[in-house]
Amino acid sequence: MCGIVGYIGHAKAGEILLKGMRRLEYRGYDSAGVAIKDDNNIVIEKKKGRIKEIEQDNIIAGNAGIGHTRWATHGKPSDENSHPFFDCDESIAIVHNGIIDNFVTLKESLEKEGHEFKSQTDSEVIAHLIESHYENDLLEAVKKTISQLRGSYAIVAIHKDEDYMVACRNQSPLVIGVGTDENMVASDVPAILDRTNEVIYLMDGDIAKISYKDIELWDETGANVTREPKIISWTVEDAEKGGYDHFMLKEIYEQPKAIHDSILGRLGEFKDVDFSKYNIDMIKIISCGTSYHAGLVGKYIIEEISGIPCMTALASEYRYSSPSDIYPFTILISQSGETADTLAAAKEARRRGCKTLAITNVLDSSITREVDEVVYTHAGPEIGVAATKTFTTQLIVLYLIAIQLGLKKEKLLVEEADELRNQLRRLPRKVEILLNNTDHIKEISKNILAKSEDIFFVGRNINYPVALEGALKLKEIAYIHAAGYPAGELKHGPFALLTKKTPVIGICVKDQTYEKMIGNIGEIAARESPIIGVAEEDMELQKLCDELVYIPDIQPLFSPVLVNVVMQLFAYYTAYQLNCSIDKPRNLAKSVTVE
Amino acid sequence: MKAVILAAGEGTRLRPFTASEPKVMIPVANKPILQFIVESLVDNGITDIVIVVGYQRRSIMSHFGNGDVFGANIEYVNEEKQLGTAHALYQAKSKIKDRFIVLPGDNVISKHTISDLLDGSDGYSVLITTSEEPSKYGVISMDNGLVSEVIEKPEKSPSHLISTGIYALEPNIFDYIEEMMDSQVYDMTTVIDRMIEDHDLKGIITESTWIDAVHPWDLIPLNSTALASVVKYTGGTIEKGVVIKGNVWIGEGAEIKGGSYVEGPVIIGEGCEIGPHACILPSTSIGSDTRVQPFSIVKNSLVMKGVEIGPNSIVERSVIGDGVHINGNFSSNVNKAQKVVGNDIKTIERIGCMIAEDTVIGSGVTVKEGVIIGSTCTVGSGTMVRDNIPSFTKVL
Repeated sequence: MCGIVGYIGHAKAGEILLKGMRRLEYRGYDSAGVAIKDDNNIVIEKKKGRIKEIEQDNIIAGNAGIGHTRWATHGKPSDENSHPFFDCDESIAIVHNGIIDNFVTLKESLEKEGHEFKSQTDSEVIAHLIESHYENDLLEAVKKTISQLRGSYAIVAIHKDEDYMVACRNQSPLVIGVGTDENMVASDVPAILDRTNEVIYLMDGDIAKISYKDIELWDETGANVTREPKIISWTVEDAEKGGYDHFMLKEIYEQPKAIHDSILGRLGEFKDVDFSKYNIDMIKIISCGTSYHAGLVGKYIIEEISGIPCMTALASEYRYSSPSDIYPFTILISQSGETADTLAAAKEARRRGCKTLAITNVLDSSITREVDEVVYTHAGPEIGVAATKTFTTQLIVLYLIAIQLGLKKEKLLVEEADELRNQLRRLPRKVEILLNNTDHIKEISKNILAKSEDIFFVGRNINYPVALEGALKLKEIAYIHAAGYPAGELKHGPFALLTKKTPVIGICVKDQTYEKMIGNIGEIAARESPIIGVAEEDMELQKLCDELVYIPDIQPLFSPVLVNVVMQLFAYYTAYQLNCSIDKPRNLAKSVTVE
Repeated sequence: MKAVILAAGEGTRLRPFTASEPKVMIPVANKPILQFIVESLVDNGITDIVIVVGYQRRSIMSHFGNGDVFGANIEYVNEEKQLGTAHALYQAKSKIKDRFIVLPGDNVISKHTISDLLDGSDGYSVLITTSEEPSKYGVISMDNGLVSEVIEKPEKSPSHLISTGIYALEPNIFDYIEEMMDSQVYDMTTVIDRMIEDHDLKGIITESTWIDAVHPWDLIPLNSTALASVVKYTGGTIEKGVVIKGNVWIGEGAEIKGGSYVEGPVIIGEGCEIGPHACILPSTSIGSDTRVQPFSIVKNSLVMKGVEIGPNSIVERSVIGDGVHINGNFSSNVNKAQKVVGNDIKTIERIGCMIAEDTVIGSGVTVKEGVIIGSTCTVGSGTMVRDNIPSFTKVL
């Protein structure tokens, strides 16, 4: 989702716009830019990448301007495709959020009239259309322009000779901030809250003329209307959490949608990577933290579906390991794409002569420039420090990659691949079923986990990494000491630690390790540790476990997605019970850009 | 002006389709019913919205968030125990300072419905419509443009005029709610009936859209009405040899495979896989990530998300809930059916079947007209289902 900010008043527009744009970062973006107007002209400064990459020195001192954060739709992220856009003689600058459906035909006819385009975007046609209609009245020119546009838009335009902004909206959000001797306009309220809490919401079809003193409005019929400003009483953070207590819980509940978005358009044909270019006999997955656990699950997924041997490594260890004579196809996983250790590992893998692929959530992040191939998770922005929906979508991408590799290696028949894709298509609903019944998980967290000082997580096979991840989440946000183990390893040491006071969470799905797992749980029961089973409906387990959390029926290969949601909820509700700072745990940062 | 939407109740008469979502979140034309209300308010410039949530509130909150996607500023208040409409409204008391409007969240309305109320009113007003079955609602008696009496679900109705439950009110309505709650009365109709002793309540009769779905079979006509406004759009991929007629909306990432025939009005959600050789016939909505396999027909039906309809199946005038998995050779009989409603027997012209969320239907199953199969059931292969099946049942 793109973000728009506009300012007109007496203060320095550049600083205000950049601050407002940072408030819209949660919408996600891949490039940013501002256009500032002083007495004589308009100067645009825009860059692909983060807001901080905009050159402060190039921003002129003016008291009006427009800013934009772009999330690429038409045209890839680049300096040229960033907003704002000029018309031909740099008199008019515009920013746009939305999609212009008929831009191809508009662009063709404008080009015939001699207009020159500098970008591949749909948005640039708006600047040139306004130019073609401009007769010393920006407002009239914009009115004529929007009558030709089909699609969705929020647009803000300025002209070097006019002392007002024009804003209009159709199906894309836009609000006006009403100040004293200054006014603002933005895609969302947080961008203006630093300067005013009086807001006018624009309706579809509205067009507004905004000067530093006055705001005039016309509705879709062209009638002059007045809309009373609303007083905003909430803070920026409340607004973004949409009724949830924490971002983490909001993001846990966004997972069905995140999975849906991640598989969208990829089940029929996975076009992100053409694996036929590569000779892949061995794979190495490198990552850190939660992404490392996704990589560990990925090892089981890739080996089972494609039959290709797969190793994993921690990025911080891999960098200092000795190179060898084999050149595994190397997959790097980083949510932010900025993780310093993973970035360094990507460079190192390349230096060693390996072909590399990055799995990341952030479009055009640093890691995408260090690798041969990129697959995006499409989870949407994640604000809670504890990774939830981004972990889940990393798994989804690993399934998609494994299916593609299986077909390439002819390990997988086409009909088997179809069945696996079908399982993926059903996953959003299965997660939803789980999220609809969380009362029991809440109770267990409150009555058992929150009262404990040491907790063990055990699983086998593909759910062993999920046990590790469950323990990590609990440590991260509830500050409780927890350890994840492969169930078979318990008796090689940790067994000595089991007492009545150490609850054990046992993951027990019906795969080839089911019988063994039942045996392990029996051994734990003999030590009198409270056992919390996470399983499909099961008679046997009911006898052995003190508490049992059911997951919907699912093929074992896909069970980590569901089991992990249970782990997330255990961590969340335990931390909630203990009043921990869930979204910003002590000593932790979302994007670890130091080594 | 603020609006308060009452969306805390389950909508029990729509069971089993309310197992994990409240009635207001049931999709018609692939859009939750509540979204029709929010959009109508926003279209009338009412962007400050308070939603009273309760039963399965998460599904409402994750869909609407803070409202920015809908051009609104949405706040939530929680009604822990759902005692009645007046009690629900009372939860929003701290958010209301001036004259406001209150609406039930479970009717499909249009932009004009709200404008009718806003145009004709000052002070206390209620929006009134006519109904063929007034005894299901609060029946209104009018005198000179003012409401003289409201009676909730009377056995004999004095008129065909019913309250839509949409009111414009002054903040002191909360005094009357408090007064009635003291004597354990929690419903809005009684509060209003008490209030009109002291204040004039203007009755505004509207002919704009106001559709209610009370029972599961009402969802089919409701869906057809909502589908009338579908526009042509293709976000997914359409293979060669597909015929598309009329207004058909195809979401992003959906695939319509060769030889399929789609006749609008139809909505096919994001990420669906249709065909090859499937027929999707008029007044059908299909939710996201649903798959309709070869040689199957879906006609005049409401199919929700994550559904699988196996090959060679017929789904007609039916409601299929989220995550239902139907194996091949399924058939929904369509005929006149009689359903018991309270003490009455109601005849429904032409109805298929209604299958609630996450139920698995084996291959070769036939379901008789008007049958309701509950959520999370398993129906074994080759079964002929003649009667309703309660949720969580295994039929072998």
